[in-house]
Amino acid sequence: MKKLPKAELKGLLIRWAEEYRVLAPGLKANGDCLFDDFDEESFTLDYGKPPLPPKSVCFPQSEITFTVDNGRYSPTVKAGPTILFGIRACDLMGLRQSSNFMNRDRRDPYYGARRDAAFTVVMACPGPQNDNCFCTTMNSGPAASRGFDLQLYDFGESFIVEIGSPEGEEFLSPFSLPDLEPRKAAERTSEFRSKASRAMRRADAVPEAMDRLKNGTENEGVWDRFGDKCIQCGACAYVCPTCTCFDVSDHVSAPGSGIRVRSWDVCLLGGFTREASGHNPRPTQALRLKRRHEHKMLYYNGDDIQEAISGCTGCGRCSDFCPVHIGTLEVAAALAGRDSPGK
Amino acid sequence: MTNSIGEFEDADLFLVTGSNTTEQHPLIGSRIINAVERGASLILIDPRGIKLAGFAGLHLKQNIGTDVAVLNGMMNIIIEEGLFDREFVEDRTEGFEALRNCVSRYTPRVVEMITGINRHDLEKASRMYAEARKAMIVYAMGITQHTTGTDNVKTCANLAMLTGHLGRPSTGVNPLRGQNNVQGACDMGALPNVFSGYQPVADAAARKKFEEAWGVGELDGKPGLTIGEMMDAALRREVRALYVMGENPIMSDPNSSHIEQALSNLDILVVQDIFLSETAARADVVLPAASFAERDGTYTNTERRVQLSRKSVSPPGSARPDWTIICELSRLCGYPMDYGSTAEIMKEINRVTPSYGGITYPRLENSHGLQWPCPTEDHPGTAYLHRERFSKGKGTFLPCEFKPLAEQPDEEYDFLLTTGRIYFHYHTGTMTRRIGALSREAPEARVEIHPEDAQRLGIRNNDMVEIASRRGAAKARAELTVRVPRKVVFSTFHYSESPINSLTNPAVDPAAKIPEYKGCAVKVRRCI
Repeated sequence: MKKLPKAELKGLLIRWAEEYRVLAPGLKANGDCLFDDFDEESFTLDYGKPPLPPKSVCFPQSEITFTVDNGRYSPTVKAGPTILFGIRACDLMGLRQSSNFMNRDRRDPYYGARRDAAFTVVMACPGPQNDNCFCTTMNSGPAASRGFDLQLYDFGESFIVEIGSPEGEEFLSPFSLPDLEPRKAAERTSEFRSKASRAMRRADAVPEAMDRLKNGTENEGVWDRFGDKCIQCGACAYVCPTCTCFDVSDHVSAPGSGIRVRSWDVCLLGGFTREASGHNPRPTQALRLKRRHEHKMLYYNGDDIQEAISGCTGCGRCSDFCPVHIGTLEVAAALAGRDSPGK
Repeated sequence: MTNSIGEFEDADLFLVTGSNTTEQHPLIGSRIINAVERGASLILIDPRGIKLAGFAGLHLKQNIGTDVAVLNGMMNIIIEEGLFDREFVEDRTEGFEALRNCVSRYTPRVVEMITGINRHDLEKASRMYAEARKAMIVYAMGITQHTTGTDNVKTCANLAMLTGHLGRPSTGVNPLRGQNNVQGACDMGALPNVFSGYQPVADAAARKKFEEAWGVGELDGKPGLTIGEMMDAALRREVRALYVMGENPIMSDPNSSHIEQALSNLDILVVQDIFLSETAARADVVLPAASFAERDGTYTNTERRVQLSRKSVSPPGSARPDWTIICELSRLCGYPMDYGSTAEIMKEINRVTPSYGGITYPRLENSHGLQWPCPTEDHPGTAYLHRERFSKGKGTFLPCEFKPLAEQPDEEYDFLLTTGRIYFHYHTGTMTRRIGALSREAPEARVEIHPEDAQRLGIRNNDMVEIASRRGAAKARAELTVRVPRKVVFSTFHYSESPINSLTNPAVDPAAKIPEYKGCAVKVRRCI
């Protein structure tokens, strides 16, 4: 492990930004904090949980998969070396789960190329970033256990830098940062992690809901109640670090020419499962909500989830942003019978 | 809106009428749902069983076009039972006696006959609304798109003033604006009778102010034409040239065959749009415009909040921001407009529009917008209107008598058609029908029909049906649902292959000139 004085961080980022696309937290003029192209002026370390996970770096909202020009097809895989600076452990888990899912049986060339070109620098969380964080419950934080290139622990004047990969080592090599005595550094980071974990909320309803779903003992009527109020905005899927469903559409510009595009999709929309005959195996909003949450809490692949306990990373964004409060926390509480009716 | 969107969270009661809020203003709809879950009451007055009906403590299904009678009936009960706010009425209003005289004829029995609403439900709704501490009226096009649209709006205002439900947080009258900048367009005087900030063209002082600001000679004091009047004038060849910006009248105006005829009568039709809409396809000249993401500017939303929007991608091809097209055209017409940026235009807006006086670019850059009225640079903006006084001083009750729909069903045209919009499409579909996921969700027009009516006519779910009025006909798939009352069909105007506005009645409200999209007589048959 290395020591990085905080005063030197910007210099390091500036240096990286000369060669790579660096995405880092920035404070915008109107007070919003977003992950965006590194900009010296707006860069901030006071950013909590960014409103969006870094999902779009590997899986853009919309991307051209191939173009056709007078009958000639050419695939368009676009991936440039990118540094994700300061992502949270829950979001790294999201990237790892999605990457496994997208490349497990057959490599998704678009996702795969972008993921391979992305270098991750995790900022270990000192504690919950808001009331809806529950990474410790899902075993995805507050710090990453593996899968990162570098991980930073904030100790005030300086960071302890944990190196997670040979690339991580290589990226730091031009900066000649002082080495820390390994045992001492491990002690300090472990202390950081335990303190952060103790501060993190346990969302016991989530594992309880998972058990109940598995045993078929979940609270009845939950799906109908949520289905009645879901406004189908899709925000839960858009902000979810592990939602990677997409829709494919063709856009013809002239006979024999055009593009094929894939765009984020949302399983809460009726057309997502509607069949050509018009039959819909998930005909109601209640059933669509059930499916979505079962995919997070019941039907997930054991490899995909890495060391986490399910396909939900506990970032809490669905609960942060659902306008009618149908996030994982609310759904799990209802399934487990822990919510107060009328809430 | 007299209130702000955030204020929905704290209201005790909502009276929603003529607004399918969860479909058309979903983030406001969701605030209503959240408020109901925390204990607020919801009264819904709507002929259809929209989603909010499931959350409403009371759903009054009025006959289409009887809103004035419903609201007058509520006011009558509120006055009779002494539930009105005497202090508010005395201190802040005038014309109470005239109101009392008018509404006294709308007894529960009479209202039940006109509107079909059970008198006990009406009494219950009246008491609930009058006795609530913080009550918000929420309405949209279901109130305005009638030949009695102005009367409907006045009557909503009468009800709020009678009960003192105005001028406080979470308490007021809230017409929901249906488009991201329809408020802004009106504020900027994109209306035939006013300059920006609703300064009347008929007012000599206002004219003088703008003549000086623009360095021009005498401005015309005569209000111009509304859209419907322009079309009529084009038919008479009194209007010879039409310049349409971001609008698709062939699809959106009533009685479309009449509109097509009017447009073909013109010497020149110019359409400025981001896509080749049905109207643009008929234009002599199409001016390609930049989309929202391709230009700088501001939008004023339904809560009067002016928000800055920045260019993030370059416009394709020869598309340009609307303001540069207008400036260039103006220069060619002999009046150079030399604005260098939208910020410069805003400076002029600040100078000539009192309610926008303090809404400057530097302030917008450092905030999430400012709500007018915001007269000076140090003014924080206004969250809710009519706080201590109305802008004209006292609020005048403007009692209205009930008037029936302009076109009633008869033996041949035995159904009422009411039109609206759906969640997945916007207006005439110029943009949303080009989006794969949205087209997938709602690929074609549906006609909602009550199962009993459908059975009588031999119509099954998903059958193609033809609906026809005296003006035109359209085909669409039937959706059998109890969401609509018997003898009423509902459809949308999003689809050019099912042009529902070829059926609608161009009869307009005498003051606002808004057509009666919400009710016309039609007949329905199954297509063979």
